[in-house]
Amino acid sequence: MSTLTVPRTGGSLGRTVKAEWIKLASIRSTWWTALAMVVMGAGFTTIISGVYAGDLADGTSGDSPAEYITQGLIFSQISAVVIGALVVTSEYGTGMIRATLAATPVRARVLAAKTIVVCGFLFVVGTATAFLGYFGGNAFFRNEGVGISLGDEHILRSMFGAGLYMAGLGVLAAAIGLLVRHTAAAISIVLALVFIIGQVVQLIPGTFGEWVMKLMPGNAGPGIVVPVSFGDNMLSPWTGFAVFVGEVAVLVLAGWFVLRRRDA
Amino acid sequence: MAITHESSAGIRVRGLTKTFGTKTAVNSIDFVVEPGRVTGFLGPNGAGKSTTMRMILGLDAPTAGDVTVNGHRYASSPAPLREVGALLEAHAVHPGRSARDHLRWLAASNGIPTTRVGEILELVGLDSVAGQRAGRFSLGMGQRLGIAAALIGDPPVVMLDEPVNGLDPEGVRWVRSLARQLADDGKTVFVSSHLMSEMSLMADHLIVIGRGSILADSPIQVFMAEHASAYVRVKAPRSTDVEALLVGRGLDVNRADDELRVQGLDAPAIGELIGSSGLLLHELTLVRSSLEDAFMELTADSVEYHARTEVAA
Repeated sequence: MSTLTVPRTGGSLGRTVKAEWIKLASIRSTWWTALAMVVMGAGFTTIISGVYAGDLADGTSGDSPAEYITQGLIFSQISAVVIGALVVTSEYGTGMIRATLAATPVRARVLAAKTIVVCGFLFVVGTATAFLGYFGGNAFFRNEGVGISLGDEHILRSMFGAGLYMAGLGVLAAAIGLLVRHTAAAISIVLALVFIIGQVVQLIPGTFGEWVMKLMPGNAGPGIVVPVSFGDNMLSPWTGFAVFVGEVAVLVLAGWFVLRRRDA
Repeated sequence: MAITHESSAGIRVRGLTKTFGTKTAVNSIDFVVEPGRVTGFLGPNGAGKSTTMRMILGLDAPTAGDVTVNGHRYASSPAPLREVGALLEAHAVHPGRSARDHLRWLAASNGIPTTRVGEILELVGLDSVAGQRAGRFSLGMGQRLGIAAALIGDPPVVMLDEPVNGLDPEGVRWVRSLARQLADDGKTVFVSSHLMSEMSLMADHLIVIGRGSILADSPIQVFMAEHASAYVRVKAPRSTDVEALLVGRGLDVNRADDELRVQGLDAPAIGELIGSSGLLLHELTLVRSSLEDAFMELTADSVEYHARTEVAA
């Protein structure tokens, strides 16, 4: 049997990040889901822009093209949630979590590495999706003479904002994954939170209801993704994103708390 | 490699206890697994073997007591896979990931050079299927991958939980010789099993656990001498007369079907005794009970679930 002669060095976050990246990149479903994110996000943006370009050009809709240029990303949220959840729950489903924690017993480091990898991957794919949608949709707008430019107000922020929001959503799903340790449960909970509960809370009457709605992660977070705000009843883009990041951080802390204490 | 003092090498378990709610899975156990030999960890299913192994790896937190590996706690090691390699369960692998990628991430996590991945795949005989998704592997191939993962860091301590489960005879022989080779290389080898017969072929030293307590901790020869018993099997046409004769001489006789099991005298003496009484003999055999029997006897009170073997008449 050969002997390893590599000197003993301290464990490092870099190694754990590299290991987590190999794990994420070596699963085919990661790439299928990422592809779905790009195709759905950029595709729907392009289609919606194509459908409305005529109305925008002749002024019948009264909207601005910028309102449509990130619309398809609504669908991309699903992929971000799936990737984020799977990074955690696939390990519990297969028993791999034991191999992971045996290889890296410092559990905070495992959580940090997973967070970094999910963030980095979804930021890149999310931003790429936004840019592809922009180019696809804007081609129709240009045709109709209502083209926009990356230099226009809030457009670049929306492109990179899409990456940031998808990254945050993925981490949110990973944190829920740590709490429930089950793929279907984690994905359902986060999708329900973003798509259903975020809308249902509008039914709560009065100012309280307005605030609850504003603060829901699926409402506060995507403000930075849209160049033109959804409505008056929303937090300003960066304030909303800060609230969203805070909410994600609380859930990650809760996830860390159970990961640290629970037997694997 | 880490410099370890002779006294701290191996696995040291002190007062280790684990309770789940009201159930005590491991009850204040102490043992030492020494380097240079294969130590068998034997017990019925549910005896606490896997729980103990998980506590050694810091996966489960002990309720009380502590474990050191090579003189320190597992979790404090900067590159634990270079100190302890463990096969915990065959399918702790993502089914969609290839064997090579599984070993790649393990190597990366502990700063082990990637060249080791190819070496270890060859060693366990998976090099030809290294690119296949692990979900397509047979149970035996999964075990081999698990063993590859355990050996990736060339650790001085190797822990294998039920390594022969699901292996074909060739695979079983391979695990046996691998365990032997690792021990001969001076490594600490700790192998669990619920099969006494397997342990008798693999282990130099035996730690028997039942219902969370250590029932025996001794070299395998000592264990056999202490726990395995022998009797003389007697078959005779007029067995009731023979039984009466032997009992009359103060021997311990048990009847099982058409045979008598006699203890207290050796076979030639029993034969002479029966012959000199003018009775006929059909069979006279010395039977040593196997290690399996010794194990069953030792753990009879500690098995979680008994099967009913009597068949209703």
